[in-house]
Amino acid sequence: MTGPAVPLAAYQILAGILFTIGVIGVLVRRSALIVFMSIELMLNAVNLSFVAFSRQHGSMDGHIFVFFVMAVAAAEVAIGLAILIAIFRKRETANVDDVHLLRG
Amino acid sequence: MIEIVLFAMFALTAISCALGVVFHKNPVHCALLLVAVLLSLSGLFIMLHAQFIAALQVIVYAGAIMVLFLFVLMLLSFRRDEDVLTPGAAKGFGFLFALIVLVELLWVALSPGGGERGAQTPAAILSDDFGSPAAIGRILYTTWLYPFEITSILLLVAVVGAVLLAKRKFSG
Repeated sequence: MTGPAVPLAAYQILAGILFTIGVIGVLVRRSALIVFMSIELMLNAVNLSFVAFSRQHGSMDGHIFVFFVMAVAAAEVAIGLAILIAIFRKRETANVDDVHLLRG
Repeated sequence: MIEIVLFAMFALTAISCALGVVFHKNPVHCALLLVAVLLSLSGLFIMLHAQFIAALQVIVYAGAIMVLFLFVLMLLSFRRDEDVLTPGAAKGFGFLFALIVLVELLWVALSPGGGERGAQTPAAILSDDFGSPAAIGRILYTTWLYPFEITSILLLVAVVGAVLLAKRKFSG
């Protein structure tokens, strides 16, 4: 059996690029909802990295990590969207620039 | 050969749709592009012999989580902003920091790495049931039993918290 045709580094580079796009989304978008989507993007980039390393080392612990990351992401989205709804109901906006009560 | 073609296809889809998620004006289009990213990642998971994770990706992420996103999107009826990016110097700093992150990640990914489990080690020979639900279930319910149980408590707390936060008014 020969090794995989696509090297591990290719998956790592792809994961790095996707993570960076997620970072850009979190830093420059104004809509809180898109910020959440960008966080999901970053989590998925990390998942890809985990699965690629799992394949490389023949150990399934990376798959278990991805499983837990998905569970935490589901919890995070549920809570985050609930907070978003609460903010939207109170202030009629979902722009992160407009929610600055803690600025002092 | 076909593996490389498939990888290139999935990778290009993922990157272009991810850019769409970040820069598209219409939030609904952003959500649908994110679904496309998740589906192409699940294709990559199958190429990496992670069939169970790929199925989980489609069911949990592309199914449940994105439906939740679209539901909130419809519920709150966001108007289309003309200036979607944060104004002023914050935007410039955002791109600068993202560039630094990208350079760091690529440097780590491309560095040769040391140690006996470094990136230079050849890929392991996989057993037949690698990534199958049975094999994952076996280690999930033995080695990782306590984290698994704690995760269920975390999800319960999240459900209770989400209901409490999204309720219209506290009674009493």
